[in-house]
Amino acid sequence: MLKFFLAGSLVALTFSCSDPTITDDLLDGDAIFDPSLYNPEEYLISAKYPSPTPEDLDKHIILAVHGYSATTFEWEEFKDWSVNPSYRISQVLLDGHGRDYESFKASSWRDWSSAIKREYEQLIDLGYTKISIVGSSTGGTLILELVSSGYFNSRLHPKNLFLVDPLVVSSNKLQSIAGIVGPMLVYVEVDQSAEEDKYWYRFRPHETINELNEVMKVVRKDLEDGVKLPSGTYLKVFHSLHDPVASTTSSVLIFKGLKTNAGGKIDVQLMNSDIHVFTRLSLRNNVTALQVANQLDAFTQIASKLN
Amino acid sequence: MTFSDLFQRRLFFPKVLLLCIILFSNIAVAQGLKVGLRFQKTSGMYWENGISTQYSFANFKPNRLFIGFDFVTSRVGTAFNSNAINQSSSLLSASWLFNKSKAYHFVARLNMGYFYSDLEEEFFKEIPHSAFLLSPELGFLYDFKDIPVSLNIGSGFYIITAEDGYSPGTLQPLYYHLDLYYRIFNNPRK
Repeated sequence: MLKFFLAGSLVALTFSCSDPTITDDLLDGDAIFDPSLYNPEEYLISAKYPSPTPEDLDKHIILAVHGYSATTFEWEEFKDWSVNPSYRISQVLLDGHGRDYESFKASSWRDWSSAIKREYEQLIDLGYTKISIVGSSTGGTLILELVSSGYFNSRLHPKNLFLVDPLVVSSNKLQSIAGIVGPMLVYVEVDQSAEEDKYWYRFRPHETINELNEVMKVVRKDLEDGVKLPSGTYLKVFHSLHDPVASTTSSVLIFKGLKTNAGGKIDVQLMNSDIHVFTRLSLRNNVTALQVANQLDAFTQIASKLN
Repeated sequence: MTFSDLFQRRLFFPKVLLLCIILFSNIAVAQGLKVGLRFQKTSGMYWENGISTQYSFANFKPNRLFIGFDFVTSRVGTAFNSNAINQSSSLLSASWLFNKSKAYHFVARLNMGYFYSDLEEEFFKEIPHSAFLLSPELGFLYDFKDIPVSLNIGSGFYIITAEDGYSPGTLQPLYYHLDLYYRIFNNPRK
């Protein structure tokens, strides 16, 4: 997920004209990688069941897509919470993510998106017919781009799309001028805990922030022009009322610009929350009962649509 | 109250009133009034267009100090015939022009105003949608000699102090604008 340019109050900017000093205790380094790279069968349904049985194919598969700079860890709690045998979760690692700083720096938003497409198409090829997608933060933005670009038009239509704190407009006011100040900053350093350093990039190259702004711009423009969901696809947006990273106005833009295939309104639920990606509570400090209730509410609603 | 007090008041208040009228009439005789159109783009966000006026006093820093009023809205910008959010900004400004005697001027300006975005749906009412505005701005103004037209370009930066997540999402800080003015009157300098 995002934190400074994509995070909020615990942010420390480092002004520099050179690449950051990266140590091996960071995801950015050469020692820690997302575990889905070592054991894809533990994360991707297509890898775990390369020859699915009819019983397997009857399962509803939900792709869980994380946000900018994050890893599969972002949806780990949903996997742990899910005990419903009727659906399975495929945790997608966006390309360019979960690797080292240079890989992240060199990636484009189209690279990020290609991992979603790859798993979605593999599942279709394997014979699955009930596929849904949930995306947090930029994961939601990428899902919206797939819809607005017509990606699903020539493929199996997803059953459900869920967006959690989707990013269409940033809450951080400096992100919109990253293209101007970015080359001077080179990168942005996020003040996060040592444990979080293993699952989110600590250093965000300005090139990737520009990519993020680019995909947001594409989606915003498409929403301004008007977008329709594929037939038979249900979509719901969950958004923290005071999201410090992805402005809640993002969900207003989605609500105005995205209609069901029949031209109806989509569902939006505002959560009484001031954290970004409210479905991820692990490694957060001072988790409240309300935050737990919000997470449970979203998980329950998502699971109820996967029968 | 004594007769003397009453007398003092009777004389005092008319004197103050007269002084105010003289002062105001001296200052309020317009040295210049320009009205025109503004075309404004926010970096990474919307086109918002509208009107702009600039006014300078005859006897107080003529052609140096201008006060202005601007109103821009996305309704005649990006939101026109699209799903973009209808939003508007109203700004009062004070400007200082450099190169007073020349046709071109550098302009320093301070704006204060109010931003409002219409989120339309009742269930969005708790989402931040309005804000007070404060922005310093730099620009360049050119007065055409043969026609009563002025051209102004400027760029400003909204100082947004609200915590992330507590200000309108479509209010972004950096903006650029082009103003096309018609000089309604421009009294000779005293």
